[in-house]
Amino acid sequence: MLLVPRQLQRVGMTGAVPYYGGRFTPAQAYGASHPTAPPPSFADPMTGGAFVRAPVPSQSVASDAPVPSQADTEAALQQLLNTGVISQVEYQELRARVAQ
Amino acid sequence: MTGPVQVLVVGFDRPTFSGEVLAEFTRLREAGIVRLVDLLVVSRTDDGAFETLGLPEGVEADFGDLAASVLGQPEEPAEVEVEAADIDSAETWSLADAIPVGSTAAVALIEHTWAAGLSAAIQRAGGTLLEETWLASEDRELLEALIAERQT
Repeated sequence: MLLVPRQLQRVGMTGAVPYYGGRFTPAQAYGASHPTAPPPSFADPMTGGAFVRAPVPSQSVASDAPVPSQADTEAALQQLLNTGVISQVEYQELRARVAQ
Repeated sequence: MTGPVQVLVVGFDRPTFSGEVLAEFTRLREAGIVRLVDLLVVSRTDDGAFETLGLPEGVEADFGDLAASVLGQPEEPAEVEVEAADIDSAETWSLADAIPVGSTAAVALIEHTWAAGLSAAIQRAGGTLLEETWLASEDRELLEALIAERQT
C-alpha cells in the first residue's frame, strides 16, 4: 500500500512543543516572513509527498506592499531586541545591514 | 491511552526479525513500562515514494493500520487548503524527514505507560519543555563513572 507521510507536530514527553527561549525556530522564522505564501505542495517527488514550502519569491517580483523606511526597520529591530527575540550581537549585525 | 506516545523509527539495511525485539516489548508491557501500540514497516523507493511492507511473523495481524493512519495517508490526498499559520506555528516533521530514499524502516508507536503520572505532574506544576534528548554513549559512560566514583 502506498503511503503519503503526514506532517506531524513535534512535541516532547509532556505533550508540549519545545520552548525555544522566545526565539523563532527556522521554520517559524520563514513562515513569519512569508505570511502570504501559497499552500505547500503535497506531491514533491524529492520528499515522497511531504509538505514542501513554496520556493522563496525572487527579489525581482514586484510587490504592492510599501517599503518600510529605515527608521521603521530600526524601530522594529529595537522592539525585537527589547523583547528578547534577538540578541545584542544579532541586533548590531542586522542594524548594520539596514544602514547599508 | 494514558501515557505519552513515542514514535520510534529504526532503519534496516535488510529487515530481519528474529522475534527478540517483540519478546522484549512483551516483557516491558507485562512489567507496565511501555506498550507497543502499533508497528509498521515501510520501504522508500528510489523515487521517494513510501510503500508499506508485510509485518514479520509474531506480530498481531491488525498491526500497521493505526500507525499508517496517524503518520500517513493511504492514498495521494486531494489538494487541501492548509493555513500557512497552522504549519508554521510549531516545529513539524514527517516520515519523509526521517527515512532516506531507498531504505527500509520499522516505525513503532510506543506508549510510555510509566511516564503518564510524571508527565501529568510536570504539566500541573507549570513546567515548560525546554529540551528533550538522550545522552550519547560517551556521556553515559561519563555519568556511570561519576556515579561509581560517588559510591566508593
